[in-house]
Amino acid sequence: MQRPSALGPYQKQGIPMLDIIVCFKWVVDEAFIRRTSSGDLDFSSVDYKISEYDRNAIEAAVRLREECGGSVTAVTVGPPEAAKGVKDALSRGPDRAVFAEDPLFGGLDPSQTAAVLGQVISSKTPFNLIICGEGSGDVYSQQTGPRLAEFLGIPCAAYVQKLTVKEGRVTAERKVEGFIEVDSLPLPALVTVLPDIATPRIPGVKDTLMASKKAVIKVGKNELTAVPPPLLKTKSVRAARVERECEKFTAEVEDIKRFVAALQKRGVLK
Amino acid sequence: MNFQLTEEQELIRKNIREFAAKYVEPIAAEIDENERHPTELFKKLAEGGWMGIPIPTQYGGSGADYLTNAIVVEEISRSCSSTGFTVSIHVGIACMLILLFGNEEQKKKYLVPLAKGEHMGAFVLTEPGAGTDVMAATTTAAKDGDFYVLNGTKTFISNGPLADTYLVFCWTDKAAGRKGMSSFIIPRGTPGLIPGEHFHKMGLRSSQTSEVVFKDCRVHKDNLLGKEGAGLTNAMTGFDHGRVGIAAQSVGILQAALDESIRYSKERVQMGNPIARHQAISWMIADMATDLEAARFLTYHAAWLKDQGKPFSKEASMAKLFAAEKAMHHTIKAVQIHGGYGYIKGAKVERLMRDAKITEIYEGTSEAQRMVISGNVLR
Repeated sequence: MQRPSALGPYQKQGIPMLDIIVCFKWVVDEAFIRRTSSGDLDFSSVDYKISEYDRNAIEAAVRLREECGGSVTAVTVGPPEAAKGVKDALSRGPDRAVFAEDPLFGGLDPSQTAAVLGQVISSKTPFNLIICGEGSGDVYSQQTGPRLAEFLGIPCAAYVQKLTVKEGRVTAERKVEGFIEVDSLPLPALVTVLPDIATPRIPGVKDTLMASKKAVIKVGKNELTAVPPPLLKTKSVRAARVERECEKFTAEVEDIKRFVAALQKRGVLK
Repeated sequence: MNFQLTEEQELIRKNIREFAAKYVEPIAAEIDENERHPTELFKKLAEGGWMGIPIPTQYGGSGADYLTNAIVVEEISRSCSSTGFTVSIHVGIACMLILLFGNEEQKKKYLVPLAKGEHMGAFVLTEPGAGTDVMAATTTAAKDGDFYVLNGTKTFISNGPLADTYLVFCWTDKAAGRKGMSSFIIPRGTPGLIPGEHFHKMGLRSSQTSEVVFKDCRVHKDNLLGKEGAGLTNAMTGFDHGRVGIAAQSVGILQAALDESIRYSKERVQMGNPIARHQAISWMIADMATDLEAARFLTYHAAWLKDQGKPFSKEASMAKLFAAEKAMHHTIKAVQIHGGYGYIKGAKVERLMRDAKITEIYEGTSEAQRMVISGNVLR
């Protein structure tokens, strides 16, 4: 698939203002998923929410704007019902939103989501920093952010817990496998952030009411070049099953022996 | 017919639910036990604009509608009925009455800090000998030039010990009957306005309730809320608004009773099965869920009528009557479902049951609601 120019006219002008894009996903609120007696998941009465990780990402973006000046644009890809999510996102502080909307956008895989986001961002929204949550609250593939950076041809740091922006570079503190790595990336860049980056605010009444007054740029599927075919196909989703045997042991010597034997029998101890 | 809340109302519900789970629920048992007014919590509520939801922004409010306010009172009450009620009476009566009947100057001076949540309001009507029988009140305001001099004792005044702004109802001309009562806005600290000590109550214990005594309390005529003689009409309008709030509070209590009953009945095993599988219990829960839905619809309908600018007095009474009585009935059932565990201090259902009782009494007893409703349907 042909990629559009990664950097829009805004970036080419080299404007130093920090224009942040924060990506978010409108996901099923897992509290409403029911499990049927056959082990299937019942989504018939679910509600939706902004993915938990993305709420922290939005908060990080808004705080960075408060610190450095500039703007925050919230961007999402989703079905028309995600319009409520756009309002929710805007109530958390971004200045405007871009919403790539199509009934088919509810079931994209990460490569497709990244491709749509990439096209929308490069054509509609000037930026010099993109912030994504480390993964989405539903499938948590953790791919969309890095794939989007790849699509736009900009540097990427994932799993970031602290961010500072100075003199055209972003310093990203990454938490990886028991140690902390500090990276310096030239802007424009993309970071995926851990929940530790910022605790999301609870929007006040006026924040929610004001959200309806902020600009939302809607992008239809027909404004994009073809969405690539999925690389990943979800064949089924079923509830995890935990089998419990409920065997009881006391602290008596005989029981301890029996306990060890039981663990050995099940391969827990060798 | 449209049963769909707006996106804003749905989002605001989610947000206040999150707020209540984070800041209200964790302290609810403690403030009940210690009869403490949580100043720190009300500061947070003020910051979020939750203390003046239906008041226009030019008067310090959030500029939402009355239905949104009902939803918020419901959700706060689901975690803590005392806190939900304090918001309800502050917004639904104190703020609304100044908005509806105050002049521009009064709105700027008194409503703005109330709607911002910087000040707390109180509705000062009930007297030791005048509950449902408002006309039996004895507190008077005698005219003295440009001033009125108030004397009398008010009781069971919510926010009495801590309010900054008191809306006081008393006789300016007892002989004029229903047109002889007037209402005044009196700020705390006015000489002769003496707030009493907090009463120890069965439930709703963190809501502060006291006597308020007036002893030669001189107030300027500028403090009259509305015209002289309009007090009773103002009070009845206040009740209409307040009753939607009490209905919402009762819906919150009912929802909490249902939440707790579902959770416990799925966990508690007796005779080899979770008690939720026993018909005696599951039917109690079915009735609870059904009455909750009915109470909620009555409440939202009354609030919606208010937002449409239509008469809502009868519907507010119906919602308050039904929701309050169902809250009482089902919190008793919720304790029954919890058995001995529900009778122990610290069990949420025990607090819900104590808190529910007052909803059948204040802002018009259930009997007074039946008087309003029958008066409406029989005329």
